[in-house]
Amino acid sequence: MSLLSVKNLSVGYQTPAGVIRAIDNVCFDLETGRPLGFVGESGCGKTTIGMALMGLLPDNGTVLGGDILFRGKNLACFSEKQWRKIRGRDMAMIFQAAMNALNPVYRVADQIREAIITHHPEAAEADLDSRLEELFDLVDMPLERAWDYPHEYSGGMKQRAVIAMALACSPKLVIADEPTTALDVIVQDQILKGLRAIQARLKIGLIFISHDIAVVASVCDRVCVMYGGQIVEAGTTDEVFSSPRHPYTRMLLGAYLSLDSKPDIRVPEMGETPDLFQADGRCRFSVNCPERSADCSSSRPKWIEVSKTHRVFCCNEALIRSINETL
Amino acid sequence: MLKTHYIHRFFAGWQIFIKNPVAKAGVFIMVVFMVMALASFCLPLLGPMYDPMTGIDPDIRLSTPPSLTHWLGTDNVGRDILAQLLEGAKVAFIVGLSSAFISIVLGTAIGMVAGYAGGLWDAVLMRAADIIMVMPSLVILLILASLFGQFNIWLIVFIIAILRWPAVSRVIRSQTLSLKQRPFIEASQVAGASSFRIIFRHIMPNVLPLAFLYMTFRVTSAILVEAALSFLGFGDPSQVSWGMMLQWVWKSGHMFQAPYWLIPPGISISLLTLAFYMLGRAMDEVLDPRLRRQAQG
Amino acid sequence: MKPGVFLVKLLEIALIFFIILTLLFFLFRLSPGDPVSKMVDPMLTPEDMDHLISQMGLDRPVWEQYLIYVKNFFTGRFGVSFHYGEPVKDIIKQRLGWTILLFTTSTVMAAFAGVYLGKIAAWKKNSRLDNIMSISALVCYTLFIPWFALLLLWGLGYQLNLFPLGGVLTPELWVGAGSFVAKALDLAHHMVLPLMTLFIINLGSYLLLMRSSMLSVLQEDYIITARAKGLGETVIRDKHAAKNAALPVITSVGLNLAFSINGGALTEQIFTWPGIGRELIFAVSNNDYPLAQACFLLIALVVLVANLIVDLLYAWVDPRITY
Repeated sequence: MSLLSVKNLSVGYQTPAGVIRAIDNVCFDLETGRPLGFVGESGCGKTTIGMALMGLLPDNGTVLGGDILFRGKNLACFSEKQWRKIRGRDMAMIFQAAMNALNPVYRVADQIREAIITHHPEAAEADLDSRLEELFDLVDMPLERAWDYPHEYSGGMKQRAVIAMALACSPKLVIADEPTTALDVIVQDQILKGLRAIQARLKIGLIFISHDIAVVASVCDRVCVMYGGQIVEAGTTDEVFSSPRHPYTRMLLGAYLSLDSKPDIRVPEMGETPDLFQADGRCRFSVNCPERSADCSSSRPKWIEVSKTHRVFCCNEALIRSINETL
Repeated sequence: MLKTHYIHRFFAGWQIFIKNPVAKAGVFIMVVFMVMALASFCLPLLGPMYDPMTGIDPDIRLSTPPSLTHWLGTDNVGRDILAQLLEGAKVAFIVGLSSAFISIVLGTAIGMVAGYAGGLWDAVLMRAADIIMVMPSLVILLILASLFGQFNIWLIVFIIAILRWPAVSRVIRSQTLSLKQRPFIEASQVAGASSFRIIFRHIMPNVLPLAFLYMTFRVTSAILVEAALSFLGFGDPSQVSWGMMLQWVWKSGHMFQAPYWLIPPGISISLLTLAFYMLGRAMDEVLDPRLRRQAQG
Repeated sequence: MKPGVFLVKLLEIALIFFIILTLLFFLFRLSPGDPVSKMVDPMLTPEDMDHLISQMGLDRPVWEQYLIYVKNFFTGRFGVSFHYGEPVKDIIKQRLGWTILLFTTSTVMAAFAGVYLGKIAAWKKNSRLDNIMSISALVCYTLFIPWFALLLLWGLGYQLNLFPLGGVLTPELWVGAGSFVAKALDLAHHMVLPLMTLFIINLGSYLLLMRSSMLSVLQEDYIITARAKGLGETVIRDKHAAKNAALPVITSVGLNLAFSINGGALTEQIFTWPGIGRELIFAVSNNDYPLAQACFLLIALVVLVANLIVDLLYAWVDPRITY
């Protein structure tokens, strides 16, 4: 039984120019205690997925269709009151903390305690203190710093504090949206190692969102590649990153040159922006696809199972199955 | 090339501006008062009876309610109130706009110098701005009145202007600071242009539109302060301003018996300041998209 | 705030006040008319006149006069009022308390109400309630004080006879041996109209400021974090957003002083509230220069000190500020 099962989820934003379909018919499952990555460039919809899963879409955003099945309930039709019950308790979000994710006028300890008290108002002082200690230990932070204000923390410490706060009520599902993006490389590495260890130890279902392929690859064992609001390829990290099948994934990885890069790798030219208003389910990558054919503008792509775990979203099955090289 | 760019930006801004209901209301009210102010020039055509200052109706010697000959009634000496109201509109516009204009000129100059020169100049000028900004203008005008006697309207305008430039200078200074970083300024410096030349030929054109946009708030404070000063009896006695009208109502003890005399000038002051303020806020929304009312995606 | 920094700020105030004092002195010398007749009532007896003249150094050279002037100010020798015939110092002592009472009460009330209403207006942005509140606040902000005060006086005082038309107490009540409560109530009764005037005028700007501050705070990430923690709407609005949004409003009290002091003087005048503002206006109309000068300098001093207090308050409330 999956912890989280998303079926045909579509999310739109109301704008003066019409409805932007930021996510189009997205499907994926998350097993309990497994890390799943979402990778793609800015604007591909990965942040919107995170927000939709937490019910934190802005005022002009709505779920246009589909289901979000979490612990037997469909979150897509949750009321604000129902959301408030599970947010922070059964599911939590880790934001990019280098910015202002912590309230500047309250001490960090008080903000973490608030996270606990909101869902466990009966908790005793002693319990709160010991839980605080546990959490700080978990994210590898000295307890004395707990009573400082956020502006006294470094970027890495702020991120750790945000992680600790997310884990305060031991949620089963944690969504991390670009948690290390604004940090320098060394701190980033520490945080990622820590996060991976915590995820494994506490058996947390983790959704990890990032534009950085290397980061996603180091934390997750399954990954979904997104473009223009659609998932174009999904599978184990190994499958997707070592033997990508979808033309976009191949281009993405081609752009990401490794140290021992082959001299003949082309950095892709992506001239067009995907049409996010499009609502008929056609492939949004086709405008930029080097393998584009006449079918792309007339038919809808389907899921092609390359292996039990590896699937690709394309209308040209033959093309996908024929790709055999590894990068 | 720069000119067409400005014209284009102006029209784009105007489109957004005019859709805003606040802007519409503000423009409407202001137009009404402008018509009133312009109408005051036609008063002499109606005859000497309607002169705001000296026009006494030979048949009326005291304050009367509205009638056919005097649409808003007369004051306690028999002068037509509507005529006075129109004249007051003219005075309000003159005071407001000229005071604001001087403020802008001063504030822009000081803001540019502070922003461009930096260092000690900047620190001293901005500190002076801070101090002046918190000083109550009415109180200062009062003590000056006690020293120098009755004021002429232009002196009032000028003094208000030199008390109100700080707000403008802050905004201009920030703008100058960011412009200072731009490559074309560096290029001028390398080419050997003097600071004076750089400030006035390069920075000023880029900074002036902003300065004029903030003019509206200067207008409101000028009108209110002049009205208060006149109300207390220290205004220019040769001018019929709305504040002066209120002074007459009050001093003649008619304020409880003559609502037709009490209400129009007061409402006019408030409405006109409101109109300018609304215009300023609406322009603010044009400049800063975050303040706009429609939700963006 | 560290004591060293506080001291520097005090010194700065002293310096600025000094500059104001000096400027005033020079303006006084530059003004038309005979300085002696300005400062010393020609109606006094020759002996009294001579005494005052030497006390104020009006018979000395200018620079000596200046030093005496400064010294006199700090020792409280402001001269003798033409109109009252009493030392200015005594008059001011009586008036200052009334101004502070009215002014502080109205400012505090307006600030708190403004913060409370502004927070609600921003939370329900663009709703009917918000629009009503914003427009009302705007109207309040641009009301012409004397006119509004006169309207209140006319409506509630004259027509409905609910409140006294002026003054601060009913003389009969206070001269006799009335109870403390009766006296306090009487004072409150007289204070209602002027307080209401100042409250409504200042409320507008605080409400609008709080509203816009709140609107930018609501865009911040920590508000989304608060939602993500599952906090209730009221908790987010009050505990997380409002507390941050109220900070700039505190500084604005200082900036708003110019506007509110102008308003205070006008209100005192109309309601014949015996404060410093009214005294200043009175002194100016009666050419009572010693009194006018002292009132003005006192107001200037109050402005500077009030700003310092606001600075201190802000440093205390915002943990990010460390001086």
